[in-house]
Amino acid sequence: MSPLHLSFYSAFIFSGLGLAFHRTHLVSALLCLESMMLSMFVGLSMWSIENQVSSFTMVPILMLTFSACEAGTGLAILVASTRTHGSDHLHNLNLLQC
Amino acid sequence: MTYLMFFLGVCFAVGVLGVASNPSPYYGVVGLVLASVAGCGWLLGLGVSFVALVLFMVYLGGMLVVFVYSVALAAEPFPGAWGDWRVIGCAVAFVAIVFGGLVFGGFMGAWKFGVSTVNNVGVFVVRSDFSGVSMFYSHGAGMFLVAGWGLLLTLFVVLELVRGLSRGAIRAV
Repeated sequence: MSPLHLSFYSAFIFSGLGLAFHRTHLVSALLCLESMMLSMFVGLSMWSIENQVSSFTMVPILMLTFSACEAGTGLAILVASTRTHGSDHLHNLNLLQC
Repeated sequence: MTYLMFFLGVCFAVGVLGVASNPSPYYGVVGLVLASVAGCGWLLGLGVSFVALVLFMVYLGGMLVVFVYSVALAAEPFPGAWGDWRVIGCAVAFVAIVFGGLVFGGFMGAWKFGVSTVNNVGVFVVRSDFSGVSMFYSHGAGMFLVAGWGLLLTLFVVLELVRGLSRGAIRAV
């Protein structure tokens, strides 16, 4: 594994851990999702560079498109939560709590 | 050049570590901006300038701007700062998990430095990333239409999530 591969791989793991252990705010989890998408973008671009397959360059662009869709949906959920509960704190999302 | 690429890789990982262990979403967005600037510089150093430009304009200029003003919904009277011991403990724990995995899985040659670029040579000089992305319109037309359709549907999803009234996801507050 070269150092650049280690860099985006560990960035993906950091943001996955941040998504799993987010504490107070919903928007922190959304930011960790965005950084997962960023590390995947860089990783996919590295694939097309290292293997010199130029047609694979459209895959990170495509992934960015669907990541934009997901970010918009996540922010709409954030706005919905804020309009209902007054804040985006995670302890407000407790409908399934026993 | 080698050290520049290594430094950008370290900045990328440190920025994402800052997002993961953020004390408050205000500082998490700063870490994400740092990580995307470092990632863009990384791609520029490798030669794919078109992909780096797309990252800058679409990701940093489109999506992150929306995130930056959406964190105003996470307003607190006393936001935490980076010096809090829980934040530093989170960051140290995440780094320890990753390095524990590296040591346990075998540190397989992460010291090898070698970078290739994408400037094609020949009589007809075509940059690899420009020609690759332009295939979106020729061979990748089907996926292009699927992506456009998905974006259009996302507009309606966002509309229905935020609209509320009687059938929406929220009550009319």
